[in-house]
Amino acid sequence: MNVGFIGLGVMGRPMALHLQRAGHTLFVWSRRPASAEGIPATLCASPAELGRRCEVVFTVVTACADVENICLGEAGLIEGLAPGTVVVDCSTIAPETARRIAARLGEKQIDMLDAPVSGGAQGAIDATLAIMAGGKAEVLARVQPLLECLGKRIVHVGPSGAGQVAKACNQMIMVAAIQASAEAMRLAAAAGVDCGKVRQALAGGSAASRVLDVMGGRMVSRDFSAGIEARLHHKDFGLLLDAARRCGSLTPVAAVVGQQLNALMAQGWGRDDTSSLLRVLESA
Amino acid sequence: MNIGFLGLGIMGRPMALNLLKGGHTVTVWARRAESMQPLLDAGARGAANPTEVAQASEVVISMVADAPDVAEVMRAVAAGAKPGLVAVDMSTIAPAAARQIGEELAAAGIDFIDAPVSGGEVGAIAGTLSIMAGGSESAFAKARAAFECMGKNIVHVGESGAGQVTKAANQILTGVGVLAVAEAMAFAAKNGVEGSKVREALMGGFAASRILENHGQRMLDRNFKPGFKSWMHEKDLNIVMQTAHQLGLCLPASAATAQMFNAMVGSGLGEEDSIAVLKLLERLSGQA
Repeated sequence: MNVGFIGLGVMGRPMALHLQRAGHTLFVWSRRPASAEGIPATLCASPAELGRRCEVVFTVVTACADVENICLGEAGLIEGLAPGTVVVDCSTIAPETARRIAARLGEKQIDMLDAPVSGGAQGAIDATLAIMAGGKAEVLARVQPLLECLGKRIVHVGPSGAGQVAKACNQMIMVAAIQASAEAMRLAAAAGVDCGKVRQALAGGSAASRVLDVMGGRMVSRDFSAGIEARLHHKDFGLLLDAARRCGSLTPVAAVVGQQLNALMAQGWGRDDTSSLLRVLESA
Repeated sequence: MNIGFLGLGIMGRPMALNLLKGGHTVTVWARRAESMQPLLDAGARGAANPTEVAQASEVVISMVADAPDVAEVMRAVAAGAKPGLVAVDMSTIAPAAARQIGEELAAAGIDFIDAPVSGGEVGAIAGTLSIMAGGSESAFAKARAAFECMGKNIVHVGESGAGQVTKAANQILTGVGVLAVAEAMAFAAKNGVEGSKVREALMGGFAASRILENHGQRMLDRNFKPGFKSWMHEKDLNIVMQTAHQLGLCLPASAATAQMFNAMVGSGLGEEDSIAVLKLLERLSGQA
């Protein structure tokens, strides 16, 4: 199949390579053409040109505005894609933005899935991402073989936007767990106890979690180099707190975590791993 | 002075009336024509649109709902502005939005002041609003005569956006303050102690405040009629939280308070006064 891929960053690059290795013909576009180096693909001049040559297009970029520009902007996908083609957006953006873009593409009979992922860079490299999809079930069925090149657990959450809602829930739980791990490590250290031993002991009990394992490990070894850049979690918290606000739902822990992330950004650790939330506590 | 006034809602109407009482010539416009009638009856001139208002004015004041509304009316004002026009927005919007509108107007040669107010409908009617202004010294001096008809405590805080920053700070203090008073009242009640006595005792000490005095009394009276509607406070706290997010600023108490106001709107208390946060606390602790 002719597959387009836009966004060749830490996540996008290994994902694109999996699709290519599975035998698909890859077309890419990048704002900085240099980021496409080393990928066996045809480099296109614009998203529109890429769209003219592809049946399915993946996007994995950072901000709502990026997805919007790539899909709907000047020389955007909407100008190139034929009716019946599919855009699969794996970025993390606001549910509302995802719904709006899907509706605009829908006017031209272009289908869209919001399909954000969880699992980080390692999950992308190992093709073990969790993929949470929003959109029509039959559209998901059509691209299912492609998604299976990228991840293990693929769940159809609901209609357009539902994938992004699930991703917001994922981020709430995960970053709150990072904050809880940081507080536990901080408490252990402040009480004069070896936090490495504490982490080791807890790994056998009911507080055990992947976050305590991975992020807790980085806190113990004080390795704050990314991982997942904390600025991306900060961005996600802006989106999810806004989504909670729009529903009028009470999310007190997420609100506090959001403030700790603001403090992290202020200290200049946005490009470090989110385990830097420990350093925010230490700066108090 | 020839003053234009755009937006004649709960706040705008009495503010414009006070400009008329102050002896100014006032030209008004509102999106809903019927809201112009009370002003026309009191001697104001009506205009068909903000551009026409600008053509007749030396100072144009807007009092509308949200940043996009301000941007829209100010664009129309720019189209009709005479040289030297000072545009004043007294709505509550984000500081960043105010600065951007200021820049756009400056490019068209128009001085802009952000001058949000505090004091509510009561203060607007009595002409005793607090007015916190951001913009150039010369523009503030020109608008001052208008401000003096509407408010008492008039402070030129700083450059463009500084008025909105001050208003956001005001909303932090009133939002966190009303939640603190509600928590103290709920705490007293759950302990079986009479809230009115607690309030009376505390009013003599360091925790005395206007919020404990006024809002605390209305909580005791269980008078939840607005006043200041909680959905509006929620909107203002959202400006605070968005700005903190953009700046990288840790505001834990504001964040907790904003959550309570979110939940008020979500659970049907949005149209009640912000003191209805007491009802939410009672529900959360099973006291309702």
